Amino acid sequence: MAFKQPPDDLDDLVPEPDAEPSAAELAHAKTFASLVDKTLAGRPPAATSTDDRALLEVATVIRAVSGNADLSSAKQRSLVEEALRQAVGGRMSGVSTAIPITRMRAKRAPWIVAAASMLVAVAALILWLRSPREIVITMRAPATVPETWKSRPADALIGPIGREHAGEASARLDTIFADRLDGYRERRLHGGKP
Amino acid sequence: MASEPATAVEIAEEQRLVEAAQAGNLDSMRPILERYAQPLYGTVILPRLGNAASAEEVLRDTLATAVEKIRRFTWQGRSIYPWLRQIAINKVFDVHRQSKRSRRLADALAHEVATESDPDSHADAQLMADQERRSHREKIEATMELLAERYRLAIELRLVQELPREECAKRLTITIGTFDVLLFRAVRAFRKHFGSDLTESSPDGV
Repeated sequence: MAFKQPPDDLDDLVPEPDAEPSAAELAHAKTFASLVDKTLAGRPPAATSTDDRALLEVATVIRAVSGNADLSSAKQRSLVEEALRQAVGGRMSGVSTAIPITRMRAKRAPWIVAAASMLVAVAALILWLRSPREIVITMRAPATVPETWKSRPADALIGPIGREHAGEASARLDTIFADRLDGYRERRLHGGKP
Repeated sequence: MASEPATAVEIAEEQRLVEAAQAGNLDSMRPILERYAQPLYGTVILPRLGNAASAEEVLRDTLATAVEKIRRFTWQGRSIYPWLRQIAINKVFDVHRQSKRSRRLADALAHEVATESDPDSHADAQLMADQERRSHREKIEATMELLAERYRLAIELRLVQELPREECAKRLTITIGTFDVLLFRAVRAFRKHFGSDLTESSPDGV
């Protein structure tokens, strides 16, 4: 039987049983046979082409209607359990009375708020008990020291600067330095004590 | 699922479990779900999807929805099964809405649904599932009748009897490679005929 279209297109005419297959059809048939093998072995392929999937679905329908694709009892129990969990928010296993998760949360909410408030109150009480009752500020009276040990203006030492002496800043600095050095030496000679 | 109809005692027990669930004890739904999981999977979901993994997901969602919405269910003196079945069918078509191609399977089996999911029907759950299974089988057989003899044999040996490829090839006195081609063509031919006499209208009003 001759074909106008590639034989692996599902919408094409199906060849007669005895028609010679093309190389492409042979390859496709082998792939499909392997997929059927896996499906019958309970290991349906995860990924297939669209055409193969469509054919495999037909094969599965035939098997299902023939009673060859029943759920195992273990799978059935597992699906029922999953469904119950899904319906009540994952709180079902082993309980005789199921309470929807929303109701569970609603029941626990006041207790959670009360417990959190209690913790905050206890923490505040502990902080209050451990805090110092009065703050003692000790202000030390300044020691009486000679004027030459203190920071002081240099006005008394230099005096008013006339315009004609404006360029003698270096000499004025020397004077101030010598004066401060005297104070420093005096302090060192007294052992740092007034 | 047994072919025998449910007894009055079984129906009364089902009613007690449903009422307990409606009163808040959702775990009382467990025996009902375990009882109807297989008929829902084998006669309602898988034949309309053709994909075991998707069918298991739809079954799980169906059962979960039933638990979530049990308060809306009104006991009418018959099994809860028709209600579960209708949830399952709605979910199947939710899946098919995403894939026009796969919807062909559901459409092929849709005409039985219209009569069997009639809300006025008081069919027992087992009888209903049996009737549906029988109806699917008739549809499959009718399609098989349209196939060439060798295609019918290939499908019968490999997909119904589930014989190994080697055994199928041996019985047909052909090589395994030739049998692979035969089965491939047979399934393609089956697909072309399956549901070809049905319209594309929305199935059974779901």
